[in-house]
Order: sequence, then structure tokens, then C-alpha cells
Amino acid sequence: MLSNILRGSAMALRTTSMRTALRPSGASPALWSSLRLYSSSLNNDDIRCRVIDVVKAFDKTTASAQINADTHFAKDLGLDSLDTVELLVAIEEEFDVEIPDKVADEIKSVSQAVDYIASNPEAN
Amino acid sequence: MTSPSRTQVLSLYKQIIRNANGFNNYNFKNYFLRKARTQFRETKDLQDPETIQQAYRTAKQELGVLKRQSVISQMYTFDKQVVERIDSRKHTQNSGR
Repeated sequence: MLSNILRGSAMALRTTSMRTALRPSGASPALWSSLRLYSSSLNNDDIRCRVIDVVKAFDKTTASAQINADTHFAKDLGLDSLDTVELLVAIEEEFDVEIPDKVADEIKSVSQAVDYIASNPEAN
Repeated sequence: MTSPSRTQVLSLYKQIIRNANGFNNYNFKNYFLRKARTQFRETKDLQDPETIQQAYRTAKQELGVLKRQSVISQMYTFDKQVVERIDSRKHTQNSGR
């Protein structure tokens, strides 16, 4: 994580110096928007919507179940531990992150997944 | 030899699922996903430590094969099957975005 932050700031320095060298006047919006990838620009509502989308698309989800932030994977959706692992892999792929096994064990509901993604700076 | 813990088994399952998802080819990908699901469900009620150990070892070997093959699969392009979605977001339900 630390190395990522370092990499991010090194990148920022490099682009800044490049920009001043190439075009001293005015900031280019394109450069800044690419820099913003290094900070987590996801807001909680967005994450929640996407997690819920993933859960809905998951084929073992009971179709009738209403999915909201409080939905519990095992209790409300009837998923066993293997299904939960699969669902988490789907969430990992949606946000391009890897959830470590220890943390993944603790994630048992939509809100916990949202919290984890929100706390992970690499999620996008 | 002790039998693998719950965490180890789930971790193995996760790695298998993740590597199976790496396949470019729809048929291979879904074959391995189905295979993993069935095999892990078949072995979930095993009691005898020796048999559990055996099943764990087999699955681990298969994971090795799976890893190699999914990397190889990524080196070749395949035409998309008609059943596959074209949009890039893999897990959204409706493609109308």
C-alpha cells in the first residue's frame, strides 16, 4: 500500500515537471483527471450500487430476494461459504482489487463489502 | 498429516475460481467453474482425514494445471460465443447501459 502511494506521488511529480516543461501556462485537465486515479474517487453510494448489481447478477442469488445494503449473504440470500467466496471474487473483479483471505473471511454482508471497498485505495 | 483447515480450503477454492475466470474461451472457463463447484460440493461432507487430505492434494495439483492453461489461453484470441455479453462490465445484470 505504501509503495503504491509512493509510486503515485512519484508519478505526480513526474507529470507535474513534464507539464511545466512542456507548457508552463495553465493546467491541463486531462493530466489532472489521470492523476485522480490514484486517490479513491469512489463515493459510498456508487460502491453500494455496484456491489448490489454484482450480487443481483450472481446466479445463485434467490431471485425473489430484495437486495439492499443490509443484505446478509448467508441469512438473506442462502449462500454457503463456497458461494460467498465466488461472490467475493465477482466483487473483486468488478473493483479490480484482491481481497486478502483473512479479510474475505469477515465479509458476510453487502454493507461489509461496501466498507471494505471504500477503505481500499486501489478500488476503482 | 493433518487435514486442511476451512480457511485453506476456501482459499484454494477462491484461487481456482479466479484462475478459471482468467480463461478467454467461454467454454473452458465455464467448464472449469462448473467442475470446481461440483467437486467442492461433492467433497464437502467428507469425514475421514485421509480422504480429505487426498481430495485437497488433487485439487491443488489441478490448480497448477489450471494456472498454466489459463495463462496459455490468454495468449490466443478466440471469437466470442453468441452466448457471451459484449459489454466490458462483467457482472452487471442488464446490458442496457
